[in-house]
Amino acid sequence: MKATQDVALGVFFTAIGIVAGVIALTYPIGTPSRMGPGFFPVIISVLLTLTGIAALSRARRAGSPLVEAITWRPVIIVPLMVVVFGLTIDRLGLPLAVLLLVVGTAAASVKLDISWRAAAGAAAFSAICALLFVKVLGLPIPLAGSWLPFSG
Amino acid sequence: MDIFNGLMLGFSTATTLSNFSYCFFGVFLGTAVGVLPGLGPIATISMLLPFTFGLPVDTALIMLAGIFYGSQYGGSTTAILMNLPGEASSVVTTLDGHEMAKQGKAGRALAAAAIGSFFAGTVGTVFIAVAAPLLAGLALTFGPAEYFSLIVLGLVTSMVLTSGSLLTAFGMALLGMTFGMVGTDVNSGFARYTFGSANLLDGLDFVVIATGVFGLGDVLANLQNEHARAASVAPVSRLYPTREDWRRMTAPILRGTGVGVVLGILPGAGVLLASFSAYALEKKISRRPEDFGKGAIEGVAAPEAANNAAAQTCFIPMLTLGLPGTATMALMIGALVVQGVQPGPEMLTQQPALFWGLVVSMWIGNLLLLLLNLPLVGMWAKLISVPYRYLFPMICVFTAIGVYSINNNVFDVYLMALFGLLGFFFRKVGAEPAPLILALILGPMAEEYLRRTLLISHGDATVFFTSPVSLGILVVTALLLMSILSPHFRKVREEGLQEVD
Repeated sequence: MKATQDVALGVFFTAIGIVAGVIALTYPIGTPSRMGPGFFPVIISVLLTLTGIAALSRARRAGSPLVEAITWRPVIIVPLMVVVFGLTIDRLGLPLAVLLLVVGTAAASVKLDISWRAAAGAAAFSAICALLFVKVLGLPIPLAGSWLPFSG
Repeated sequence: MDIFNGLMLGFSTATTLSNFSYCFFGVFLGTAVGVLPGLGPIATISMLLPFTFGLPVDTALIMLAGIFYGSQYGGSTTAILMNLPGEASSVVTTLDGHEMAKQGKAGRALAAAAIGSFFAGTVGTVFIAVAAPLLAGLALTFGPAEYFSLIVLGLVTSMVLTSGSLLTAFGMALLGMTFGMVGTDVNSGFARYTFGSANLLDGLDFVVIATGVFGLGDVLANLQNEHARAASVAPVSRLYPTREDWRRMTAPILRGTGVGVVLGILPGAGVLLASFSAYALEKKISRRPEDFGKGAIEGVAAPEAANNAAAQTCFIPMLTLGLPGTATMALMIGALVVQGVQPGPEMLTQQPALFWGLVVSMWIGNLLLLLLNLPLVGMWAKLISVPYRYLFPMICVFTAIGVYSINNNVFDVYLMALFGLLGFFFRKVGAEPAPLILALILGPMAEEYLRRTLLISHGDATVFFTSPVSLGILVVTALLLMSILSPHFRKVREEGLQEVD
C-alpha cells in the first residue's frame, strides 16, 4: 500500500483504538444501568478501531492523496527546542530560557536572519517577556535559575 | 430578571475601567491575530487562557470573547488587501474583496466589511439578550437523556461541517473522546490510561492539547512552505462608501445578518458556514450573478455580516446549555470551569452579572472594532507585512510559557510538544482537528449523561427515543447525516468547505 493520507490515518486510528480497547478491557465494565469505568472506553475504542479499518479499506478501494513530502528541519527543531525550554526554565530562569527558545526555533526557518538587529531583537523580546510575565503578571517563574551563580 | 434590568446590570459590569480595558485589549489583539495570516483565534485564545486564571471571571471571559469576534474583523482586512484569508472564515471575502482592491476600491471594500460586521454584531448581541434567557428556561427542563442527544447533535454537526471526509472527522471525534478519558474517572475514582504517571491523574489538560495542536501544529505546518508566502499589500484609498455602494450593500447586510444569526446558534456549525451560505445566497438572488468574483460589493458585505453575526450567536449554546458548539467555545467553557463557573442554564440566574456583562461588552467591543478598523487600517496593513520568520519564534514562546504557567509543571510543556507534532501529522493527512477538540470537552460530558440516563432508566436505552425532545434532536441529527449522503449536498459541502489555511 502507498503512504496515502487514508492509510496513515487508518493505521493511526486502528492502532490507538486497539491499544485503548485492550487496556479498557482490564477495567471493570459494569452493566448498562451501572456503567463501570471500562464501559464507555470499550465502546469508543471499538468504534475508533472500526473507523480506522474503514479508512484503510477506503484507501484500498478508492485511493486518496499521497502524504506530501515533509520538510524535516522545522518538524524536528521546533518541538525539540520546546522540550529544551522545559528542561531549562527552572535551571536558567525565564529570560535565558526564552532567549534560547527564540534563537533555537528561529533556526528552524530557512530564512533565518543572522544579524545584529535580529539578535538584539531576540534579547529585547526575552527581557520584555521577563518583565511582563514575572513582574507584571506575577507568574512564579524564577528570573535566574539554579544553574546560575547569582540565583537566590 | 427582564431584559431591561439585565442590560442595565450588564452595562454597569462592562463599563468598569478594568473590564473596559480588557475588552479593548481583547478586540485589539483579536484584530491583530485576525490580520496576521498563520495565527488564528483558537491558537491565541488557548495561549492566553492560562494568563486569565488570575483575572476575575467576567473580565477573563470579556477579553477572550473580544479576541474571538475581533479576529473576524481583522481577517477581512488581510483578505481584501492581500488575497489571503487572515482567518479561516474570511476565505469568501477574498473572492470579491481582493478584486475590489485590485480595481482601486480597497477602502470601500474595507468599509463595507466593517460596517456590515458592526451592524451584524449589534443584531447578534441583541439576539443573545432576547433568545438566551428563553432557551435557558427551556433547558432547565432537560434531563440527562436530552443533554446526551444534544451532545450527539453537536458532534455530528461539527463532523458534517469540517473540510475533509466524514469518516476522518468521525475518527477525530472518537480520538478526542479517547484523550478525554485519560485521568481519574469521576465516578469510580479509577485511573484510566494514566500508565502509572501521576502527571496524568488529573487528565490531559485541554489547554495543553489545544495549544499544541493549534498553536505549535500551525507553526510546523506554516514552516513547510515558507517560499509560497510572497504577496503584496494593496494600497488603501478612499475609506467611505459611495451612495451607490450604500444602495447596493444594505439589503445584503440585512440578509447576511439573518443567515449568520440562525447558523451561529446551530451547535457545531461555526462562522465559516455562515459566511459561505450568505455568499451563496447573494449570488443566487442577485440580478447580476456574473459580477460575483469580479468585485461585487454585495459579495463582501453579506459574508462579513454573516460571519460576525454568527460569531456572536454561537455563544448561545455555550451560555445557555453549557455545550460548546465550536472549538473556540470549548475553550471558553474551559476558561469558565477553571474559574469555578459551570456554564449551563443556571448560569443566567446565578451569575447574571457575568452573562449580561458579556453581552453588553460584545456590543461595546463591536463599536471599538469599527473605530479600530476603519481609521487605523493603515497600521494593520503594516502589520500584515511582518515576516513570519519573526513571528513564529514569539508564538513558540507564548505557547511554552502559557502551558508551563497552568500548573508550573514542565510535564505539560513536553506534552504540548508532543501534541504539536500530532497536530502537524493531522494537517499532513488532511484531518481537521476541530472535532477532536470539541470531543475532548464533550466526551466526558457524554459519558456522564449516558451513565445518568441509563441509571435512571435501569439500563434501558430506548429512553432516548421515548422522550419527545430527545427524539426530536436525534431526528435532526439523522436528517443531517442523511443529507450528507445526498449527492447534491455533498457537492455544496465540498465547494463550501475547501481546505483553507
